[in-house]
Amino acid sequence: MGGHRVTPHVTTHAQMRVDAYLGDLARLMPGPRRRRARILAELRDGLDQAIADHKTDGRTEDQAVDSAIDHFGTPQAVADAFTGELVTAYGRHTIAWYIATGPLVGIWWLLLLQPHPWRAGLVALLTAIPVLPLIAVAIVTAAGTFATTGRLIRWLPEASPVRALTATIAVVALALAGDLTVIMLYVRSGAPMRALAIPAIGASLIRIACSVVILRHATLMRRDRTRLNPEPGGTGRHDAHR
Amino acid sequence: MLPMRPELLKGHLDALLLAVLETGPQHGYAVIEALRTSSDGALDLPTGTVYPALHRLERAGLIASDWETVGGRRRRAYHLTASGHAALGEQRVIWDQFSTAVTAVLGRRPWAATV
Repeated sequence: MGGHRVTPHVTTHAQMRVDAYLGDLARLMPGPRRRRARILAELRDGLDQAIADHKTDGRTEDQAVDSAIDHFGTPQAVADAFTGELVTAYGRHTIAWYIATGPLVGIWWLLLLQPHPWRAGLVALLTAIPVLPLIAVAIVTAAGTFATTGRLIRWLPEASPVRALTATIAVVALALAGDLTVIMLYVRSGAPMRALAIPAIGASLIRIACSVVILRHATLMRRDRTRLNPEPGGTGRHDAHR
Repeated sequence: MLPMRPELLKGHLDALLLAVLETGPQHGYAVIEALRTSSDGALDLPTGTVYPALHRLERAGLIASDWETVGGRRRRAYHLTASGHAALGEQRVIWDQFSTAVTAVLGRRPWAATV
């Protein structure tokens, strides 16, 4: 919390005020922990530099800390300003996780449910694994979200944080529905339990548990829509933390 | 010069940040200071505007960052990528066209009405 705890050339009192400010900010920011830690470390460096500059201009240390914190804005305003980027990062990380782990779950079901070799073709495959359309929609949604939140935004319309988060929720919900459906269909089919069923069902159960947790986080984030659409340039500069 | 409201910069902030970084790598606070000093104080942008905008530019691949340790502090320095240089060139052309058009409209003053 509070980024990398090094604020050289200031007294313990000033250090504590910077720590308190960054601590408040840390509590208010959503999103991936590692990303938040990097932001806090970056802001600490900026605050340190601002304090040093103000002291060079002849202010006392207390005044320098006041000015630096005032210029940075209230923790709430700074957290709100970063929320869009953090939510987008959360969506991209989550989707990347599903893309990376998808084949690890899917391969077991494909081996378990693949149609007989003499029944080739798309219809046979869909009959054997009816969740494939769900997976296809999830892949298209994931690819679209990645494209409109990453390097392609120079050429494609950029997805807003709300839209990126909504798409992420859709991908997770589709994966969850796919896992539940395929397990239910397999169990209800009455087919003899094969050894391959153990890793397939196990992998899906692990992903179901992860999906439930992620859905809860993502839905809570999306509910707080006002923070995802902060006033442009709003900083809430004030005299907090004096 | 009076500070400008950040919302007035909507659509041009990316180009301004890319232009500041064109001269070489800079950390976030230095970018804010460079904007302020090079505009005679008119572009005194707050943290909540500049840092997230830098992160967005990095996500778009127009800038990249490296962490270094300076005087015992961890510091993140941003620099332009090849795509960033290209985008800055495009933004300059767009700005030239935009400013010419706006000046042409705003610069026209009606003759004083005669009574």
